[in-house]
Amino acid sequence: MAEIELLNRIKLNPAEFSELFKLYYKPIFGYILRRTGNFDEAADITADTFFKAFRHIKNFSYKGISIKIWLYRIATNELNLYFRQKKKRNSIFDRLDIKDKNLFADYISDDKKEYESEIQKHDQFLLILKGLKTLPIKYQEVISLKYFEGKENKEISEILLIKEGTLKSLLSRGLEKLREKCNQI
Amino acid sequence: MEKHEFEKKLFQMTKPEVDQLKHQDMLADAIANSKDKTALSLWWLIIPLYTFMMFLMKSLFMPSATLSSSIHDLIAKQRLVAYLFFLISPLIFIIINIISIRKVYILSGSPKSINFLKIVWLNVLIIIFSFIVLIVYSL
Repeated sequence: MAEIELLNRIKLNPAEFSELFKLYYKPIFGYILRRTGNFDEAADITADTFFKAFRHIKNFSYKGISIKIWLYRIATNELNLYFRQKKKRNSIFDRLDIKDKNLFADYISDDKKEYESEIQKHDQFLLILKGLKTLPIKYQEVISLKYFEGKENKEISEILLIKEGTLKSLLSRGLEKLREKCNQI
Repeated sequence: MEKHEFEKKLFQMTKPEVDQLKHQDMLADAIANSKDKTALSLWWLIIPLYTFMMFLMKSLFMPSATLSSSIHDLIAKQRLVAYLFFLISPLIFIIINIISIRKVYILSGSPKSINFLKIVWLNVLIIIFSFIVLIVYSL
C-alpha cells in the first residue's frame, strides 16, 4: 500500500521521485554491478535505469507487480542493451544537469574505491562472473537473478516476463553450461 | 563438480555488496529535475501520420483517387521515389513502431492493462497503415 501512495505522490509531484531513489537505488545498483563487474558501467546503467523510470512513471500501471519488480525489469533491459552494443555508450552523466560536477566526480571516485576494495574479497565470485559473461544473455539474466540476487522463481518470471516453466528450463540448461565453463577456467 | 554441488556453491559463495553510495543523492536531484527530451521520437509518429492524412484528403476531395491508384500513379512517374515512399519508409515505420511498443511494454508495468493500449494505439495504427501501403505496393 505504501508503494501505491508513493506512486501517487510522484505522479502529483515529480520531485518526490527521490524517495524512490532512497528505497531502490542501492539494490538496483548492486544488481547491475554484479552483472557487469565494472563500477563505471554500473553507475551509468543504473542512472539510465532510473532516468527511464522517472520519464515513464506516469504511465506505470500498478496492477499485479511492484515498483521494485518494474525497476528490475528496466534494469535488465538496460543491461541487455549494454551487452548487445559492443561499442562504448554515451554516458548519461553528460546529459544530466548535475549541480556540482566536480563534487559528483569526487563522490563517484570515492564510491569506486570502496567497490574496488570490496571486490578483491570475492575471488570466487569474479571467476564465476567471468564464466557467466561467456554465456548467452538469456542464461546470464536468469542465473544472475537467481543465484546472485537470491530472487524467487515467481519474481524472476515477473521481471523477465516469462513463464515459470520456461524459467526452470533456462536455469537448468544455463547452470549446466556455466558449470562446464567454470570447470574449464 | 556435480551440478547440485555447483548450484550449492553458487548460493553459498559471498557476493560483493554496495554499502554506501555517496553519489546517490546528487544523482537523484539531477534526475528529478531533468526535462523530458523526446521530441526526436515524435517524428516517427508525425511523418507517417502526415502521409496518412495526405492520402485521406486526396481520397476525400478526389473520389476517383484511391490509395492503390495514387501509389501506381507515382510508380509510373517516379519509380525511385515510389520505392522510397512505399517500400523503404513503411518498413522503417513498422520497425521503429514495433521497437516503441516493446519499450512501452517493458516500461508500462502491467502490459495487459487498458493503460498500455491507450499509450500504443497510435503506434498500432501506423503499423497497420504501413502494412496496407506495403501490400498495395507489392500487388
